[in-house]
Amino acid sequence: MPLDDPAVRNETRRRRTALALLGLMAIVFIVLSGFSFVSSRDQVTPDTVDYASTYGAVDGKRVFQSYNCMGCHTMVGNGAYLAPDLTDTYELVGPAYLAAFLPSAGRWPTEAALLVQLQDPEQVSETGLTDLADYYERYPGARERVARRGGLSTYMPSLSFREGEVKHLVAFLKYTSLIDTEGWPPVPKVDGLTFPQASGPLALAAAGEPGSRPGSSTAAVSATEAPDSTTTAVVRGEELAGQLGCLACHATDSSRLVGPGWGGRYGTVTELADGSSTTIDEAYLRTAITDPNAQVVAGFPAGTMPSYAQVLSPDQVDDLVTFIRSLEQP
Amino acid sequence: MIQYQTQRLSVRFFLLMLVLLLVQVALGVVLSLQQADPSLLSGTLNFNITRSQHVNLGVLWILSGFIGTLLFVGPILAKRELVAPWLIRLLFIALIGVTVWNAIAIYFAQQGIAGWWLGQPWIQEGLEYLEAGRIADVLILIAFVVIALVIVRTFPHYKTWNEIHWGLAIGVTALAAMWVFGMFFVGRIDLQEYFRWFVVHYWVEGVWEVIHISLIGILLVLMFKADVKAVGYAVFWGVTLVWLSGLLGNAHHYFWVGTPEFWQFWGSLFSALEPLPLILCFWHMYLDAHHDRKPLVNKPAFFFLLGSAVLEMVGAGILGFTMTFALTNVWSHGTWVTPSHAHLAMFGTFGMLGLGAAYWIVPAIRGVKDFDQRFGQLSFWLVFLGMLGIAFAFAIGGTVQVFLYRTLGLDWFGGDLYPQMMTYKVLLVLFGLVFLSGVLLLVFDLYTLGHRVRQAAPTEALATYTPPATGWSRPLSGFEAGVWLLSMWVFGFVITLGLLSFNLPRVQLGDPTLPYIAAGVGYPGLLIVTLLFVWRFLASLEAREAVSEAPMTRVAAAHAAD
Repeated sequence: MPLDDPAVRNETRRRRTALALLGLMAIVFIVLSGFSFVSSRDQVTPDTVDYASTYGAVDGKRVFQSYNCMGCHTMVGNGAYLAPDLTDTYELVGPAYLAAFLPSAGRWPTEAALLVQLQDPEQVSETGLTDLADYYERYPGARERVARRGGLSTYMPSLSFREGEVKHLVAFLKYTSLIDTEGWPPVPKVDGLTFPQASGPLALAAAGEPGSRPGSSTAAVSATEAPDSTTTAVVRGEELAGQLGCLACHATDSSRLVGPGWGGRYGTVTELADGSSTTIDEAYLRTAITDPNAQVVAGFPAGTMPSYAQVLSPDQVDDLVTFIRSLEQP
Repeated sequence: MIQYQTQRLSVRFFLLMLVLLLVQVALGVVLSLQQADPSLLSGTLNFNITRSQHVNLGVLWILSGFIGTLLFVGPILAKRELVAPWLIRLLFIALIGVTVWNAIAIYFAQQGIAGWWLGQPWIQEGLEYLEAGRIADVLILIAFVVIALVIVRTFPHYKTWNEIHWGLAIGVTALAAMWVFGMFFVGRIDLQEYFRWFVVHYWVEGVWEVIHISLIGILLVLMFKADVKAVGYAVFWGVTLVWLSGLLGNAHHYFWVGTPEFWQFWGSLFSALEPLPLILCFWHMYLDAHHDRKPLVNKPAFFFLLGSAVLEMVGAGILGFTMTFALTNVWSHGTWVTPSHAHLAMFGTFGMLGLGAAYWIVPAIRGVKDFDQRFGQLSFWLVFLGMLGIAFAFAIGGTVQVFLYRTLGLDWFGGDLYPQMMTYKVLLVLFGLVFLSGVLLLVFDLYTLGHRVRQAAPTEALATYTPPATGWSRPLSGFEAGVWLLSMWVFGFVITLGLLSFNLPRVQLGDPTLPYIAAGVGYPGLLIVTLLFVWRFLASLEAREAVSEAPMTRVAAAHAAD
């Protein structure tokens, strides 16, 4: 076709215009992009956010990526759609609930587990809260979760976090809850819990095993059968283990959940993380409950278990120890 | 059957593509089972690992199909052999190596190991779509550079290029360039998402789309002897429209990630224009398939190619359109509504192109003149139906999810949301199995094609039977195709209105009637019309032998109008 054909010339002109328009749009895009990240926007940045002045949000983001959290959850709405969006979780439930939940993600934290975390000096330095009622007031999501799900199984696998990783994650989630996401997600105008669709616990219980509450029914049964003092101590200890959420991390057989399984452990010789070894006796168990990082079993990370010294009376510690002692290797 | 010896290199990439496809789909079925029962394989193969493998393999097999197709059409476009075929052989080994390494590396996320060194995650990165760690990233970048070099150096001097040459050359170069934006750890969520969508959006809606349009163009030229000038015209305007809309259309990913509000304006406006090139591509497919009314030589190849153009318009175009406005996206974002669009668009557009190309190229290179096309046709219908069903299950389940999650604020997935979504989770498994059966069939067919003894068709009469060119099989006029297209869009608007209705006070006070009705009409309507249209289109083509002498006035008129 000859080049001076008017159709060809018109087409060439149209194409030049289109390409010029494209160039213009590229400029618009670059200018908008520049404005998106200027500091005068006051968008929060992770280097300015930390948890308890110790754990940085950027390090927390590294932990978040290391475990590929986005492969189940969403963050600012992006990710997989199996599990809840995490953007505003911190704002809803607060750091103590997150610290109680994350190390033993297989079960939802109970009130006692939350109480233990409230004693954590780092938590106190961050929120200034030690009282459960005050905590619930500031983080109403924690109250709702404890009431509706406390002690139930979650669908999240327990992850074996290393020392400090949980608190770094808390720092990261604090940062994401501070981000201005332009009104997303939309705030509900109604209380969804008053709707028939909110029938969670019933539906779960019907499904059987995952919804069953740990350590309650069996204790009640054995209490009526054997009234002597050792047995009642065992029953009290089992009840405590359920209420405190111990069983979220420790199995009653020898299997590993988050921490070592209890079954058949008593009286055995165990190697410790520092290379020494010790016999699992009553003294060891007492220390393990009140000062868990003093003697950590080899192969388990230190700093995962909180101290129960402030929560339990010496008698209660004894009950727990008696319960653990009573567990035979199945 | 082939002109250049180096074209043979493409077959191995198609065979690799099929293996990866099979694994990817099998993992997809596992994922759907895990959605239905999240405790399945928990602790052994956690959902996030399965999901990352599924997503990564999806990208890798589509790329493998692209490479195969590029290696086949490259020499045809260049009118000479590929330069440096040894590099391609090396690339093939490297691709397998990277795939295996990446699959292993992703598994480390279960132990929370990313391989941090120099501030970068070297083993795995834990970001959706960009799960690959730096080691894999660097290898993949090298691979992209190799592909770009081989293709561009094979082409003749750039002054002699037509639009298809340009489209492919720009496509393969940008493929490598865009990848670089995903190779840095970013601490800020907003900045990380900004660059992550550079890779994901500009790859899919910029680069892949350009390669897609160019490859559809050249395959139409090969299949229907379509006029290179007309196809080149469509390729130029297709690519230009893709960029005019897609460059700023990327802003629809910047609505809620911590970037400023003004993106909502630009994103809503420009990404609403993104379906335009897809409609153009679809329409050209119609024109080229009808311009000479020759019977189809290779039915499976054309089936998949048509599926690619149609699902691109429906999955990417229409379903993308419904959730691209800030006022609808605020509801659909972060829910199952999104993967409904993503599955139909991703597999539809790019997957079907790769499969169509495989059905064209594998027999050509194996020198098979005449093969039993029934397996290929059946597998097309199985994967087509399976994917429409998957999109349906995601979309309706997602609408329920939006209401419960965003309107009622119920956030307990295991307790409140799962029981309500369970029906659709089960549907997802069922349609996933339909899809898997189609994939099994086509993998078997393409692997053994030309190697197995040809089954004699039941009777000679059946083999040569062509349906009468009346009723459902009558020639498809431009007007009728337009009506089909329009009705798809009508259902698309119903879906859009359904998502918009979540903004109404009535719905926000807890009455889901409007969005549920709109979704219940819109999604099944759209998907059924899509199914019927493809059936109608193919029926009219299969009846061609009977009507090849019929008057062509309508089609000729439609073509003249172009």
